Amino acid sequence: MKNRLKLLRVERGWTQEQLGQALGVSRQAVNALETEKHDPSLDLAYRIAVLFARPVEEIFDNPHG
Amino acid sequence: MLNVWKTGTAAHRRYVLRTFAFMVPYMLICISMMVTDVFDEVIGKPAGWILAAAVSAPVIGQLWATLSLIRESDEFVRAVTAKQFIVSAGLAMALATFWGFAETFAEAPHLPGWLVYAAFWGIMGCVAPFIRASN
Repeated sequence: MKNRLKLLRVERGWTQEQLGQALGVSRQAVNALETEKHDPSLDLAYRIAVLFARPVEEIFDNPHG
Repeated sequence: MLNVWKTGTAAHRRYVLRTFAFMVPYMLICISMMVTDVFDEVIGKPAGWILAAAVSAPVIGQLWATLSLIRESDEFVRAVTAKQFIVSAGLAMALATFWGFAETFAEAPHLPGWLVYAAFWGIMGCVAPFIRASN
């Protein structure tokens, strides 16, 4: 799923490890999200949205519309 | 395995420890059976069943270790691990089925059934590097 996660992370100067810790997932999971090798669950997508204080749609492209 | 230890999560490190705990006794029994005659005297005796149970117990332990890794990991690691396990198990079963029929109908040489577990891990080692996405 296309997303702006890497851009948002880099804007804040965070490493993948730091973002993973903030979200409660592994660095591998963050890397997989950024490289579109993993589509997040609804729960994880909302956690990411809360962390960056943005709506889910601003972070992840809706593939259905 | 060492790479997983260095770069993996705490769940990965627990998995490595559990794997060693189960694989060392399994390998010791298998290697002893292959290179010595230490188990020859149990052939045809009730102790043979105990030996069979003893060598299959670590296999069940390894299954528990893998399920624990899945339970203790995040959603990405969980999905990728399950995918790798399913593909490897499926290919190992296909290989065992192929060879079983080849023995029966194509005069292939007999191979002991317990080799399917070694085949599973060999296949896992080959396919895991190519299964890195959950979607």
